[in-house]
Amino acid sequence: MVLAERSNDVRNGKRSRGPSPNGHGSPDSSSEDENVVPFAAEKIRVGRDYQAVCPELEPLEQRKPDQISDRALLVWSPTSDISDIKLDEYITIAKEKYGYNGEQALGMLFWHKHDLNRASMDLANFTPFPDEWTVEDKVLFEQAFQFHGKSFHRIRQMLPDKSIASLVKYYYSWKKTRARTSLMDVVSEGRNPTGSGSGKRESGAGSEPGGSDKDSDNDEKKWTLHRGIVRGGKPLPGGGPSLRAGQQGEGEGGGEAGKWCTVCGILCSQTTPHNSHKLCQACLVHARRTGTMRPLCGPSGRRGPGSKQQRYKHRLPRGIYINHDDLVAMATGPQPGEPAQPGLVNQGEAMLKAMDREIISLKRQVQQNKQQLSAMKRKVGDAGVEELRPGEPPAKINSRWTNDELLMAVTAVRKYGKDFQAIAETLGTKTEAHIRTFFISYRRRYNLDAVLREHEADRGSANHIQAAGTTSTESTDNDVDNSNANNGTGSPQTNTKDEKTEVDSEGVAIGASAEQGGPPTTPPKHKPSK
Amino acid sequence: MAMQPHSKKRVCYYYDSDIGNYYYGQGHPMKPHRIRMTHNLLLNYGLYRKMEIYRPHKATADEMTKFHSDDYIRFLRSIRPDNMSEYNKQMQRFNVGEDCPVFDGLYEFCQLSAGGSVAAAVKLNKQASEICINWGGGLHHAKKSEASGFCYVNDIVLGILELLKYHQRVLYIDIDVHHGDGVEEAFYTTDRVMTVSFHKYGEYFPGTGDLRDIGAGKGKYYAVNIPLRDGMDDDSYESIFVPIISKVMETFQPSAVVLQCGADSLTGDRLGCFNLTVRGHGRCVELVKRFGLPFLLVGGGGYTIRNVSRCWTYETSVALGVEIANELPYNDYFEYFGPDFKLHISPSNMSNQNTPEYLEKIKNRLFENLRMLPHAPGVQVQAIPEDAVNDESEDEDKVDKDERLPQSEKDKRITGDGELSDSEDEGEGRRDNRSYRAPQRKRPRLDKDATPAKDDAKAEDTKDDVKNISNMEEPKKEVPPNA
Repeated sequence: MVLAERSNDVRNGKRSRGPSPNGHGSPDSSSEDENVVPFAAEKIRVGRDYQAVCPELEPLEQRKPDQISDRALLVWSPTSDISDIKLDEYITIAKEKYGYNGEQALGMLFWHKHDLNRASMDLANFTPFPDEWTVEDKVLFEQAFQFHGKSFHRIRQMLPDKSIASLVKYYYSWKKTRARTSLMDVVSEGRNPTGSGSGKRESGAGSEPGGSDKDSDNDEKKWTLHRGIVRGGKPLPGGGPSLRAGQQGEGEGGGEAGKWCTVCGILCSQTTPHNSHKLCQACLVHARRTGTMRPLCGPSGRRGPGSKQQRYKHRLPRGIYINHDDLVAMATGPQPGEPAQPGLVNQGEAMLKAMDREIISLKRQVQQNKQQLSAMKRKVGDAGVEELRPGEPPAKINSRWTNDELLMAVTAVRKYGKDFQAIAETLGTKTEAHIRTFFISYRRRYNLDAVLREHEADRGSANHIQAAGTTSTESTDNDVDNSNANNGTGSPQTNTKDEKTEVDSEGVAIGASAEQGGPPTTPPKHKPSK
Repeated sequence: MAMQPHSKKRVCYYYDSDIGNYYYGQGHPMKPHRIRMTHNLLLNYGLYRKMEIYRPHKATADEMTKFHSDDYIRFLRSIRPDNMSEYNKQMQRFNVGEDCPVFDGLYEFCQLSAGGSVAAAVKLNKQASEICINWGGGLHHAKKSEASGFCYVNDIVLGILELLKYHQRVLYIDIDVHHGDGVEEAFYTTDRVMTVSFHKYGEYFPGTGDLRDIGAGKGKYYAVNIPLRDGMDDDSYESIFVPIISKVMETFQPSAVVLQCGADSLTGDRLGCFNLTVRGHGRCVELVKRFGLPFLLVGGGGYTIRNVSRCWTYETSVALGVEIANELPYNDYFEYFGPDFKLHISPSNMSNQNTPEYLEKIKNRLFENLRMLPHAPGVQVQAIPEDAVNDESEDEDKVDKDERLPQSEKDKRITGDGELSDSEDEGEGRRDNRSYRAPQRKRPRLDKDATPAKDDAKAEDTKDDVKNISNMEEPKKEVPPNA
């Protein structure tokens, strides 16, 4: 076990694989144990130095359970007064509006003795302990982590104001997101590592509004770039030597390389042509609404010469659009490149945080929906569709006909015609075969033919409205089948005809159609078309 | 099997939010963070709100020395990473250094873990709860004056000692993949605590837990060891767990149960070698819960932390008698559970080296031992249920082997290498796993190491051991177990 001891304990270290545990248990183990040193050199030790001293059993009459202290602090106890849904609502509000976590929210509720209203009101009065790391801390942590790995005491030398506990905690919540672009990568891409005062995505996105400084003539690098791209492009229609035209040329010449809004100069994945400009979504909306091009409000000339090239590296992923106004709003915080001001939360950071919260709440919703779906699926899987069927389960099938059943059966014939399966399902106590027998034996007695005609008449008229082209004065069977075809069950027209002839030839061949037509689909199809 | 409706119990849960912040060291497989992950999952599953949640007090040195020796606890209290060099000798003596490193906040960590289990035991004693849970506990390797296997303070022993004040007999069950040697040793000579441990045995840490280790002195027959081989799956595990535990319950008749739920017996564990799923592991909790005794659940091992938190979350739901969805709710550590984000895990296609015959043999041997217990009812009465149990388990074995696992099914279970690799720990700085498996004791155990370890001598050795102890009653003429 102990690494350091390994070398000392040569016998253990070099021991060949011991006998199987089975060997020990079996009577013939001694033979195979001869040539192998058994593993179980370890023994439970016996003696005062090893065993625990069991306390005396306290006699019943001496016990005072209520006087023993709990040795623990109760922080939540369940309540049956509040429904799960209400509790969920409360927690969601606490989380999304006030930034609590679930535990803190319940703690607040418990503190108010499960009084939901009082707790909800009190939520605003406390700010949950902010465990926020500043961006500077995060960058430092990543840097330190690269140097020292998970030696938290060494990392701590770079972040002396953090406790090791706090470092460990941050490490575990950070590492899962390491797949995303790390702060280090973003920062090291041409910027002073300690100088970033903005969130990671902000610093990535923050370089984008620089596209709007295209009018600045002092940006030499950009020119060289443009020339390179324009060369491959076609000459611009009526385009003066203006920068804007050059930009458009780039948009065309660059082809797949990315699309640039010709007004604000933002790289976006989709542009819309408008008055010889190609516009991003924001500019398009502005242009349509006001008829003029969107004024440029981006910072101009702020960035150093190298930054333009860097911008081209930032290609937006598919489906991501950048709203110019958001960028502007974000950029109004401390500017990238300026020294970071720890603790200062600028607008951009606030926006990003809000977005993060939104993402989390959406993810939560997604998982909740998944849970609900699977619960429903399981419910259906367990119970089958039977539970959803109307009426009692077809448990008590009985071939004897009661008066009620006869009455119902006749009514059902009136409603469903010769769809015996539907009738059987309606009755619930008879099988399809029972209904057939019923139809034959009671045809005379209840004048079922007349009933059928009534049904036919109803159906017929309904059918004619639906499918004006088809002929009308056919037997009920045909109507049924026609309606089938009309309802889109896909049974071809020829099929219908075959059946008709069959029925005709057989005369009273009851139920033949039900068997040969599109049987399984028939009953449900009929019901709606009553 | 569906949960019974009457199985809704009052559950108390012990957790300190600091416990996830202790860090054993780079490359060390033990990660207290798993307890926080479990906690967060419980919270987002809505299980948290169904339990009484306690923040345990830190156990005092006084409480810990109820079991541990004074100078060991004093040592733990004073050692820090920055003064380690002054304690070289004691570190050797107490086996602190390599597997059980000195890390920042070591003593507090022990205090929280022990505090939870002691408070939980007190709660059970007060009959204020039926089930208490402390996932921060379960450190079953710690000895009276020695750290071992990532364990420093044996919270289980402390909890059981607390229970013994109000309970004549306490049953301890250990489903960690490692032998529960610390607890077994602590109660090796008493008949008031029966320790039952299911573990991998043979070339495996800690090296104890032989089938023939059955206790000593008054405690003879009160230690039950079930040595198992690699690849135990759900069905095999249940086939041995159910009859043994039923028999133990019947003969020992405890009035309280402690279950150590070490999750390193799960499939894909970084150190373990069993093939249990979360469901199979949780089944043990369900089965023990059915006996309706005051029930203390503690954590333990478990080194693939995403599966550990899955497992303990599920077992909390079992304790509560609440069904939870297989889809994990969104939580703070959601990304850890990719790519499937499900609660339950599939077993791997590793082969199960525990044949039904082997398990049957073990079971029969253990039944023989249990028959020696004074609590056991008369022989005739006993014979009947035993046979019934045997038949049942045979059936299960058959089903398990041949029918349930056609090759196509097994193929489905094969997981890609990436899925099983431990994303929690990267390659660099990670120590060879073997170091945690290979059991090597640094000091001789009594006169044990002196004797050439020949197996034929073993039965005699046991006698010698016993004779060495002055306050021990003379062992009866015993038949060597493998005779």
